Amino acid sequence: MDNSAKHLLQRLVRRIPASMLKSTLDKWERLTAEKRKSLDFTQSKWIITQELVALCEKSELTVKHITELEMIYITENPNQGMWHTFQLVEPEDDAHSVELMQFKEQFKSHLRELQRNVSVKIKKHTDQAVWIRVAWGDGLSSPNHLKATYVVLYLQTPYVFVNALSSKHKPLLLQALTLSTRHQQIKAANLSGQKLTALRDLLMRQYQQVFPTKYPSPLAESDQSISKLRVEKVQAEASANRHRMAGETFGDGMLPALQSAVFKLETKFKDPTNEAMTQRDEPFICSVKFSSSNLLESLRHCASSGIASTPVTPMLSSIPLKGRNYFVITDNVLTA
Amino acid sequence: MKPDMFYSRGLQLSKIKVFVAAIMAPGFHFDRWFCLFRKSWSDDHTLLISKEKVKPEHLELLVKTEWQLSYVTPLYQFRHTQLKSYSRQLSAFIAAEKQEGLAVEVGGLQNTFKVSFSVLQGLAETSDDPETVLIQVPMFARQEDPPKTVWCGWLSCINGNPEYLQSLPKDFTCLPLFCSKGAEDLSSLVKSWLQRTFDCCFGPLDINQTTLQWLAALWTNCHMETNIQNLKMIWTLPVLPPLQVTYTVDSDDVLDLWRSTRESSAEKSREAEDEVCIDFSEVTRFMQGLMSHFYRHFRVDLSAGELNQVSSALGSAKVNGKIKISSSRYLISIFSLLTECALLKMPI
Repeated sequence: MDNSAKHLLQRLVRRIPASMLKSTLDKWERLTAEKRKSLDFTQSKWIITQELVALCEKSELTVKHITELEMIYITENPNQGMWHTFQLVEPEDDAHSVELMQFKEQFKSHLRELQRNVSVKIKKHTDQAVWIRVAWGDGLSSPNHLKATYVVLYLQTPYVFVNALSSKHKPLLLQALTLSTRHQQIKAANLSGQKLTALRDLLMRQYQQVFPTKYPSPLAESDQSISKLRVEKVQAEASANRHRMAGETFGDGMLPALQSAVFKLETKFKDPTNEAMTQRDEPFICSVKFSSSNLLESLRHCASSGIASTPVTPMLSSIPLKGRNYFVITDNVLTA
Repeated sequence: MKPDMFYSRGLQLSKIKVFVAAIMAPGFHFDRWFCLFRKSWSDDHTLLISKEKVKPEHLELLVKTEWQLSYVTPLYQFRHTQLKSYSRQLSAFIAAEKQEGLAVEVGGLQNTFKVSFSVLQGLAETSDDPETVLIQVPMFARQEDPPKTVWCGWLSCINGNPEYLQSLPKDFTCLPLFCSKGAEDLSSLVKSWLQRTFDCCFGPLDINQTTLQWLAALWTNCHMETNIQNLKMIWTLPVLPPLQVTYTVDSDDVLDLWRSTRESSAEKSREAEDEVCIDFSEVTRFMQGLMSHFYRHFRVDLSAGELNQVSSALGSAKVNGKIKISSSRYLISIFSLLTECALLKMPI
């Protein structure tokens, strides 16, 4: 096992939390069950790393095998780093019939045409996701496995999620993706975050949505137990309305754990009580960032509790409806 | 203009008028506090943070650091002349506390904590302000290495209310503002030693909503002389899970807003041209302007939440009592404000 393989393995083991190490190694299957049993996971990470390196050396494993281990770890724990979303547009006629094998061949060949010395690994995950790992080299050097880019796409959808892509390699990767999926263009989808699962769920609408109904839930019948005081009844109705509208905008039940949204505002300041500012020609430049452990749930709660006026403004409802979390708002956009 | 003098231009806090009656009354309201900003250049009014006043190495120590704030009641029988003795006593105290339960090493820990008490000259503004006291705990990793300060704190009184200071009995020294940075366990040890030695008592100095809003307006006002880059405010809304809103406004735009809220109140009290009086109602109007612009876009009422943090290129202030001043220019102003907050918070 050469030095680069050893180094890669050491870095990788350091990255994997102790609690997940055993299961990840089990899934890897490059070390026999016997060898795996010989590892004592109660020891310090440092000692485990040494022992693991020794075992891998004995089994004569190479960089290729270590990158497999990395891919398994990332695939099982995708909610780390920063994922950026892209959308494929203008499909060719045969875009819908692109199959996995065809895509794999095409992607590898297109990418290799654009850049020499890349190392590409493609795997299909159980949930139809296609995972791609690219280690970049160039004409003079071999691929750098320490800073690999990861790509996740779902073949029948236009969305692509990318992690750890440098600006230098961005045009190459995007072009290879566009060509191999039989599209004409790819653009930034303005949706990023740490949790891949949240981004994916948001875009694929894989959460329970509530559609507006003309006749809301039969609250009227349960009203009989509420006191006859008019004020209480009106409040209860108002509250029920808020809850309903909040649910219609953001969804019911569990929501994808999006963590932030950024709005860059370039609109004019309009306030009837402040003439001086309202008469200004220049926009009032500011930016607003919303953050939470689950942004959509927080916003839904804002709507249902009245902190956000209902019906919810399109600025906020665009997040779940358009599946994006980065917006630039100018006066045209606001009035539109 | 001598190169080694730093003038605090424009924004000069030469006097903070506090209503004496109000401070004695239990229901004192911060918002009836008037701040007098003098724009004059006359020598007797300019605040010079010059070499003669505060040493550059002290200034360096104070700025660009985040301090945790506490208030402390007046110290009984504290003497600025006894600092060496206090240094020895506190070193021994810390060493003893740290060693509790451990076997004593011959000539061991005694040398590791060489606390130093010193006077930080130049911050005391009026004749009633006692001199600021600096406490530093250096850690000697190895004998040869230069010591690294692992804990630092200072007690001060800047532009303290003169009536209150003069009303204290002779043996009491009032240094109500305590700023510290470093390990929490050392902070507790230092506080506990000060408490038992000078019969005083410490408490957390939270920076309340009013003060944060005041700082937002103050820093915006400073943009007229020093580029603040932007004004950043962080709110928390009480939903589940809690929602944090970071609202950052471009410096020129926020200054225009601030000026526009001041212009409307300019008609009421036109004092001498070189005196500019800022009323807290102007600060309220300024904040309302910011919140209404936010509401226009998001239809979310920020006043339903709590303002947690305000920052700009000049510094940052957090509701949990953490403050950082990035420019020595406004050091005196901000710490005068905080001294006042400390005096108000004291349970006397």
